[in-house]
Amino acid sequence: MLIENMRMAFSAIRANKMRSFLTMLGIIIGIGSVISIVSIGDTMRRLFEDLYRKIGITQAYIAIGYWVDDWRQSDYFSLDEMERIKEIFGDEIAYMDSNANTSADAYYARSTVKFNYSGIDYNYQEVQPVNLIYGRFLNEGDVLGRRKNVVMDTVSAMNLFGVENAVGKTFRTTIYGSTDEYMVVGVYRKEMDPFQAMMMGANTEGGEAFLPYTILTWPNDFIYALRFFCRDEDTMEELCASIKAYVARSKDRQPEDFQMITAKEQMGQWDGMLGGLSMAVGGIAAISLLVGGIGIMNIMLVSVTERTREIGIRKSLGAKTQDILVQFLIESAILSACGGIMGTMLGGGLVKAGGSLMGVDTVIRPGVVVMAVGFSALVGVFFGIYPASKAAKKDPIEALRYE
Amino acid sequence: MLVENIRMAFFAIRANKMRSFLTMLGIIIGIGSVISIVSIGDTMKSVFEGLYREIGVTQAYISIGYWVDDRRQSDFFTLDEITRVKEIFGDEIAYIDSSANTSADAIHGRTTVKFDFNGVDYNYQEVQPVNLIYGRYLNEGDVLGRRKNVVMDTAGAINLFGAEDAVGKTFRTTLYGNVDEYTVVGVYRKEPGPLQAMMMGADTGGGEAFIPYTILTWPNDYFYSLRVFAADEGHMDEFYSSLKNYIAKSKGRKPEDFRVSSVKDEMGNANSLLGGMAMAVGGIAAISLLVGGIGIMNIMLVSVTERTREIGIRKSLGARTQDILMQFLTESAILSACGGALGTMLGGGLVMAGGAVMGVAAVVRPGVVVLAVGFSAMVGVFFGIYPASKAAKKDPIEALRYE
Amino acid sequence: MRSLLKRWGGKKPPNYLTDNVNEDLIRLEDLVKVYDTGALKVLGLKRVNLTIHRGEFVAVMGQSGSGKSTLMNILGCLDRPSMGHYYLDGVDVAAMGSNELSLIRNRKIGFVFQSFNLISRTSALKNVELPMTYARKNKRFREERARKLLERVGLGKRAEHMPNELSGGQRQRVAIARALANEPPLLLADEPTGNLDTAASAEIMELFSQLHKEGTTVVVVTHEEEIAAFTERIIRFRDGEVISDRPNIPRTDAGEGQEGGIETRGS
Repeated sequence: MLIENMRMAFSAIRANKMRSFLTMLGIIIGIGSVISIVSIGDTMRRLFEDLYRKIGITQAYIAIGYWVDDWRQSDYFSLDEMERIKEIFGDEIAYMDSNANTSADAYYARSTVKFNYSGIDYNYQEVQPVNLIYGRFLNEGDVLGRRKNVVMDTVSAMNLFGVENAVGKTFRTTIYGSTDEYMVVGVYRKEMDPFQAMMMGANTEGGEAFLPYTILTWPNDFIYALRFFCRDEDTMEELCASIKAYVARSKDRQPEDFQMITAKEQMGQWDGMLGGLSMAVGGIAAISLLVGGIGIMNIMLVSVTERTREIGIRKSLGAKTQDILVQFLIESAILSACGGIMGTMLGGGLVKAGGSLMGVDTVIRPGVVVMAVGFSALVGVFFGIYPASKAAKKDPIEALRYE
Repeated sequence: MLVENIRMAFFAIRANKMRSFLTMLGIIIGIGSVISIVSIGDTMKSVFEGLYREIGVTQAYISIGYWVDDRRQSDFFTLDEITRVKEIFGDEIAYIDSSANTSADAIHGRTTVKFDFNGVDYNYQEVQPVNLIYGRYLNEGDVLGRRKNVVMDTAGAINLFGAEDAVGKTFRTTLYGNVDEYTVVGVYRKEPGPLQAMMMGADTGGGEAFIPYTILTWPNDYFYSLRVFAADEGHMDEFYSSLKNYIAKSKGRKPEDFRVSSVKDEMGNANSLLGGMAMAVGGIAAISLLVGGIGIMNIMLVSVTERTREIGIRKSLGARTQDILMQFLTESAILSACGGALGTMLGGGLVMAGGAVMGVAAVVRPGVVVLAVGFSAMVGVFFGIYPASKAAKKDPIEALRYE
Repeated sequence: MRSLLKRWGGKKPPNYLTDNVNEDLIRLEDLVKVYDTGALKVLGLKRVNLTIHRGEFVAVMGQSGSGKSTLMNILGCLDRPSMGHYYLDGVDVAAMGSNELSLIRNRKIGFVFQSFNLISRTSALKNVELPMTYARKNKRFREERARKLLERVGLGKRAEHMPNELSGGQRQRVAIARALANEPPLLLADEPTGNLDTAASAEIMELFSQLHKEGTTVVVVTHEEEIAAFTERIIRFRDGEVISDRPNIPRTDAGEGQEGGIETRGS
């Protein structure tokens, strides 16, 4: 009987192609926009997660809180303090530096390029691997000896020297007031996807270089914030808390006076915000699904009126009230579910197309798809109830007499 | 003829009440949600503007930029500097202080209440009037003499002393490590609107008190930022940039190294953010309008088919193609415009009702209403074109033969 | 209208809506209608030549498929001939655009159909007003004239009734009143009594006779000899051709309709 009902539904839908299509179109647009918005949200969440994984999910910064009014000299960090923290927390910290960076013009021959310098320790590439293609990375000697050696990326090398392999070349720059000659000891290639380039800023004209963090604290050895990478992602919350507690104690302050920013936490915030936003906006897009459902109800009512005679004939041939009810319910459910499937394909397709256009891997969760199609069928059933019950309640004699 | 068309349209709409209502319902929901969202956005904008006006639009904080790495002792401000700035800018400054605030437990007898202490100058109530109900405000003597006098809010007075009139009563508190006895010289009543209470925090069992700002800089006379109220809102941007220039020069820095965060800028940011959000979300809600428009098209197609014979009769009596076209276009435009008008009332009503419940003056711009109703009529015309032209192109002989 | 101007070589055209250019109201010259039903072509009318003068009362007769409905559609400007000319009031309508045909239908022709074709759920008065609405007449004029016309067909008291509240004969009289709304020179009736009983049929035909006497040209398409007997000229069609065209002495009294002899007089 169910199969027979479905067959009847499809033939009724086919009998009025234009009308069925337009009815479906409402659901197609509704489901399509909900799917698109939710999938865009999911894709953004993934992109942010990738971004944070790229910069290191275990990365954290600690500094005196901006809300603290009575800043003291001792709230800053010194290189000695850093060494002490490294010793105390040992293996739990994968890497630590003074989070020093600055920008200045680099001069080579007649070209001037604005460079961003990041001060790092020699083992930085253990936590943030770079694709070194010429020369070597900074080593312990560079850092401890405060040697004026740098490692830069290929684009920067091209911008400043006109060649990728700039190993051994020197340039002049002024950092914190002192002008010096710096030497390139290594060149690496940066590999970012378009979204990462957009969020982190692609380097097109300027330059980027790593240099020993010990240079960037010179001549005043105070450091505002410490940057570190935890060894273990799962236990990083505990580690951060105990570092904070240790720092506060050593500086005679409350732990609340220090600000700890971790990549993992920030990622969680983005994730939560994007998730909430896509839920809310998806909900508003779902209003169109409601309107589409009303469209189904309206067309089913028309269809019931047009087929009054058919209903009379079926009843006279022994169809029970619920047979008619189920017949029309199945018709509206199929109408809506077909719309839901097409809408899913449309929305998913649009997101996929947009993603491939922007060079981004899109995320379309199967759960969302199943929910969307299921929900659209439900919409069909819900908005089909009134017309179907109207059909089912028709008096067979009246119905047969209907012109 | 137009009048005749409109009459015919209303007649046709009335002839099929249920169908017409459901068709309109799509537009009602679509326009209703667009109007609601846009009006919620507008209301939020005006609420935020009110909030910012409350805290003073001409207000700004000036401090060394967070992006500056090599902070120096001289980047902070001193009381002498405040006096100098006052002298130089004179009338252009309505008010200036050290933006000092802190919180600490206030102890009276066996009661301990957490207080937020706000360091202000004696003329603070000129820029931020308070409704003083007992005693007096802080005066010049309090500020210059660093007297331990405070003015607190009624909630704080009740929480700490159990009475509103706490003038003359004393309590102990620890500010920056010094335990001292403070005297209440005045009590004021706070009168926030419900939304302000929500945004700024309602009574939490704590208290608020104004104390001379000269106390809050004691014992270390450095502070991080200046809080300034410009005298003239119209010229505040010029004023703040010359203030910034002066400060940078006096500290041997570039103006870019200092940060001015003004309430007006913040208000502008909030405004454009809210405006953008309302536009984007309203646009997504407008998808339901599209679906409603498709519903109109579908029902108009049904109606054209049902009225084929009528079209044939009209043509045989001399109706031209464009007469039939106009008849059906008028019908769909009226259907849609009625839905738009009802939707506007629904959306506007909901926002008004919500505003009344939350005690906020809802903003429903007449321009938005006109736009919405006009747009809905346009939707009707647009989605009516296909059915109407289908009707108009019917062959009269075929149409007259149609059963 | 612009194409009409072009056809008249840019000179001011005669106002074919009001000027009586020709005493021949209808002139068909070598009129051919071919129906193209995809695979095969069906000849609806084969070189029909026919003239109907102003003021005549004509019956067009024939079995179904004889071409009389095709002729009716062409005479009513609902359809266009495939070849040949159709002069209505001296103007060739064969090559007119659809808007011009609408105008002709509105001003020159009054239709009466077998199934009445009143617009449902619309009062008799409104139905009669409709052609005047399309002629852009103002509301006062329309209402006054519609009432007069309903009076004229004996339905003055039924003006506000809906079609489904009227009997068949009354409905057909509303249709006739509607056909007369713009004072067209030609009244075209397609099986006007097909859905009516004998008494109502006679009433309707009497009405046509009276209208004819007042100067209206009436063309009735029918397959009933009793109906044709009311007219002054009977044209018979078979297989798309005129097979006979002869005058008829009209029967005047409805009561005599039962007697024989009419057919022999006609054929």
